[in-house]
Amino acid sequence: MILRTAVGLVYAFILLPMVIVVLAAFSAGNYFTFPPQGFSLKWFANFFQRREFMRALWLSTELAAWTALVSTVIGTAAALPLVRGRFRGRDLLNAFVTSPLLLPQILTGVALLQLYTLLKMQASYAALLIGHIVVTTPYVIRTVSATLTHFDMALEEAGQSLGASPLRAFFEITLGVIKPGVVAGAIFAFAISFDNFTLSLFLTSSKLTPLPIELFAYLKYSFDPTAAAVSAFAIGVALVLVLGIARFMGLEEFTGF
Amino acid sequence: MSRRARLLLLGPYVALLAVFFVVPLLLMFAISVSRQSYGQMEWTFTLTHYIHFFTDAYYLGVLADTLWLGAITTAVSLLLGYPLAYHLALTRSRFKPLLIVFILSPLLVGIVIRCYGWMILLADRGLINESLVRRGWLAKPLPLMYNKFGVTIALVHVFLPFMVLSLTGVLKRIEPQLIEASQTLGASPRRAFFEVTLPLSLPGVLAGSLLVFSLTISSFVVPILVGGFKVHVLPMVVYEQVLSVFDWPFGAANAFVLLVISVALIGVYIKVTERALRGIV
Repeated sequence: MILRTAVGLVYAFILLPMVIVVLAAFSAGNYFTFPPQGFSLKWFANFFQRREFMRALWLSTELAAWTALVSTVIGTAAALPLVRGRFRGRDLLNAFVTSPLLLPQILTGVALLQLYTLLKMQASYAALLIGHIVVTTPYVIRTVSATLTHFDMALEEAGQSLGASPLRAFFEITLGVIKPGVVAGAIFAFAISFDNFTLSLFLTSSKLTPLPIELFAYLKYSFDPTAAAVSAFAIGVALVLVLGIARFMGLEEFTGF
Repeated sequence: MSRRARLLLLGPYVALLAVFFVVPLLLMFAISVSRQSYGQMEWTFTLTHYIHFFTDAYYLGVLADTLWLGAITTAVSLLLGYPLAYHLALTRSRFKPLLIVFILSPLLVGIVIRCYGWMILLADRGLINESLVRRGWLAKPLPLMYNKFGVTIALVHVFLPFMVLSLTGVLKRIEPQLIEASQTLGASPRRAFFEVTLPLSLPGVLAGSLLVFSLTISSFVVPILVGGFKVHVLPMVVYEQVLSVFDWPFGAANAFVLLVISVALIGVYIKVTERALRGIV
């Protein structure tokens, strides 16, 4: 009983700030009170009418889509030999390809900014995209590896003994079986890129601002619920993406529970 | 799988990592031991910036505050995360997927948004203070934000999921028969928990703590937004040196101090998780 109450309180703590942001986004007042002062969509209207937010939203979506596409292709490719290959140094290589996950992103960000500046490619679209691909690909490798370890190699061999080329056997058999991991990885890469703040902060300029950076800049000067509307929108996107992962891979498999 | 196929499959990402991850970090080290005059780099080998960092009381204070904040955040996360992980590992509730969504939700909602939520709650004219003052329970607002208290709350919120994920993984692998056996032998549920479950979950406790600690000491969004630049931590100094002061060598040296601490913690973390998995599975 005590355990359940404690658990309930911790869940409330986890959800509280997000619930507050969503409530503030729909309330009519200039600052948030409880109970909310009436219902209003004016903050959303303001969000969708402000050009800087719309430009940022479009940039984030496009960036996340490219990031997800590239990291899914190279991540899935890398996962194959890492799970199936039998070669010296495989464990070391495994640790190496997932290292961007473990290193604090502020360090990756500072280091990349310095490299880009010396190469005179700072604050370019390509620079931002490469940075995002570096940090999202390890997630794809992890989810694909998780499904790949359950995969029975005999299936692919059967395909090949029935006359399929290795490439055809891969595309028609293996890819079909590991699809959940690939799709979940792609969705997760999209989500990580769409919400990325730390790395982007070092790689953007006033002309190239993804949504989290725009929101951060807005919050430094104003406190009105337009920021809440932007946030509520992003929370909605995150929710849709989680449901997508749940649908394709199952959350218990995804988190390893 | 042939050598050529391996090379072809692994090549793209490994090459990308080499050029855009390893090279930048090496470059950062090179910059940290170089000099900068009038915005121009002079490639030298000097430890001046490291000596500056470790002899200046301000920076040593920042380092101490950073580690202290990391320790507090880790302890509170463990205290809140353990019951949650314990419940999640044992529950057969059909709402379990929903509970996992709740735990994962902070991970997928951007860090700026989560900080903003806490700002609405904790500000001087925020939800908590405003409600208490309006009801006459408080004469003036409590200082909940722009200090270590608010920063700690927000940091715990941001990194709690990592603690819960680490703990649940280990707790789930404990054989229920072990606990049943101890109870059959006469142990109370309480004793069974403290003498069987808790010791067996220690690898998860250690892994989760290392992870949360290393994430906390490198976080700077929370100190900036919820701390309002009033709580000084090492990553914030790095950010200011690189993006505002433009003192690259000193910024890089600060970053490298942070990197050494993080890598050391991550090294221990990898050792612990390897041993934890081998020991229980």
